[in-house]
Amino acid sequence: MIRFEKVTKTYKDKKAVENINLEIKNGEFVSIVGVSGAGKSTLLKLIFGEEKVDEGKLYIDDIDIASLEEEDIPYLRRKIGIVFQDMKLLPKKTAFENVAFAMEVAGYPREKIVHDVARILDIVGLRDKTHNFPDEMSGGEKQRVAIARALAHKPVLLIADEPTGNLDEGNSFEILDLLQKINQLGTTVLLATHARDLVNKIQKRVITMDKGRISMEQAKGHYKL
Amino acid sequence: MESITLFRVIRTGMTNFYRNFWLSATATLIMVVTLAILTLTLVSFNITRVAIQNIQERVDISVYFKTQVSERQILDIQGELQKLPEIAAVKYVSAADALASFKEKHSDNQLIQDSLGQLTDNPLPPTLQVKAKNLNDYPKIAEELSKVEYSAFIDKVNFQDNRSVIERLSRILSAVKRLGISMAAVFCFIAILVIFNTIRLTIFNRREEVEIMKLVGATNWYIRWPFIIESIMYALAASIITILFTIPIFNYLLPRLNTYLGTNLTNDTWGFNLWIIFAIQLVTALILGIISSTIAIRRYLRI
Repeated sequence: MIRFEKVTKTYKDKKAVENINLEIKNGEFVSIVGVSGAGKSTLLKLIFGEEKVDEGKLYIDDIDIASLEEEDIPYLRRKIGIVFQDMKLLPKKTAFENVAFAMEVAGYPREKIVHDVARILDIVGLRDKTHNFPDEMSGGEKQRVAIARALAHKPVLLIADEPTGNLDEGNSFEILDLLQKINQLGTTVLLATHARDLVNKIQKRVITMDKGRISMEQAKGHYKL
Repeated sequence: MESITLFRVIRTGMTNFYRNFWLSATATLIMVVTLAILTLTLVSFNITRVAIQNIQERVDISVYFKTQVSERQILDIQGELQKLPEIAAVKYVSAADALASFKEKHSDNQLIQDSLGQLTDNPLPPTLQVKAKNLNDYPKIAEELSKVEYSAFIDKVNFQDNRSVIERLSRILSAVKRLGISMAAVFCFIAILVIFNTIRLTIFNRREEVEIMKLVGATNWYIRWPFIIESIMYALAASIITILFTIPIFNYLLPRLNTYLGTNLTNDTWGFNLWIIFAIQLVTALILGIISSTIAIRRYLRI
C-alpha cells in the first residue's frame, strides 16, 4: 500500500530523510522508532502530503504522490487518519462535535454523521463522554477522541505520530491497545514513537531510523538503539 | 452532498461574522461610512447636474411689444427671428394669454384679483419668448433685437444673463466630482484595510480549526469560502444600513429640492432611484469585501 523508492527530503541543505526504501503492506502494524530528529515525522508527513518528496518516488495505493495536484491532497487525506502527540482537538467542541467536524468537512449528511460518530466513539470507548469538552477529559480520553476523529472517514491507513508522548504509562498502553484493535479491524497502522515499552509489547514490524536513514528493520522487533 | 457543504460553508461564514461582534461592527461601520460618502457624492453630483439643466432651460429672452403693435406685425417679426440660425424657437404670447396666465398664477391673491377686476384695459403687453440653440448666442440675439428697425415696435428686451450662474454651477459640479471621487477612493482604501485586518484576525482566531480541517481532508474551497462569506456579510449589512439612512434623507430632501429648484424629482427620476442607489451601494460593498478578503486569504491562510 505504501512504497518508498530512494526517497530523499531536504530542508535547507539538511537531509531530513535520505534514500529511503520501504514497503508497507495492507493491514500491517508498523512501528517507526528513533531519537528525536531521526526523520520519523518527516517520513509520515511525506505520506499524508504535508511535505513534498525531493528525490525518489513515493507510491500510495500505486499512485505517485508527486503526480497529485494541490486539490487532490484533501482526497488523499480522507483515506488517511492522522493522530498527533498534541491531539489537536478543538477546545470549544465536545467529543461528538470534534469527531463530527471531520465528517462535516467531507460533506457527509447529518444523519450519517450522527450515526457514525456514535459508533466510532463506542469503538474508542468514549460513549459516556460524548458530550464532554476536551477540558473535561483526561489526556488518554482526549487522545481517544483524536483517534476517533482520525477514524471518521474509515481510513485505510492510520498514522500516529508520538500519540502517547503526553500520556502516562497506563494511558499509553490503553492507546496502544486501541491502535492494535483498529489494526485488527483491517486498518493499516503506522506508529512513530520512542516509547521502548510500547514497541517491545507489540511484537510486530519495527523500523529504526537514524539521521534520516533506515538503520534497521525487524519483522518482529524490539526497540534497540 | 453539494448543498449540505454549501450550507456548512455559509454557516461557518456567518459564525465568523457573529462570533467577533465588535470586530464585525467596526468592519461594517467603516463600510457604511464609505458607502455614505459614495452616495453623498452621487446625489450631490446629480442635484448639481439637475440644477444646471434646469437653469439652462429657463434662460430665454422676452421681447415686450408696445401695446399698439398689431398681432400681424408681431407675427411678421416672429417669422423673421425664426430665420436666424442661432434661434431654436420663438413663442408668441398675446396680451390676452399673458393676462390669463397672470390671473391664474395669482389666483389665490385676492388683492391682485380685485385690482385686475377694476381695470378695463389689459395692462400687459404682447410678448415673444426667444430660445437660443446655444447658451452663448443669447447676447448676440439680444443685440440683434435692439436694432433700430425693431425699435418702433419693441418696448423692452428683457434678457437676464444667467451664464455666470451656470458657469459657477458647472465649476461646483466638477468640484463635487473631484472631491467626491477622491474622498470615496480614500475611504474605499480604508475600508479595504479594515476588512482585510478583520479577516486576518478571523483567520488567526481560527488557525487551529483550519489546521485540523486540512488534516481531515477539507478542500481548499471549503476552508477559504467562509472567510469570503464573512466579507459578503459585512457588505450586505453595510449596504442595508446605508440604504436605511438614505431613504428618510431622500424623502426629506426631494420635496424641498423640488420647491427650491422648481423641478419635479421623484424616487423614479434617473439618478435618484433608490433601487439603483442601493444596487450601486451593494455592488461597491461586495467588491470591497471580496477584494480585501481575497488579499487576506492569500497572505495569511496557508493551505
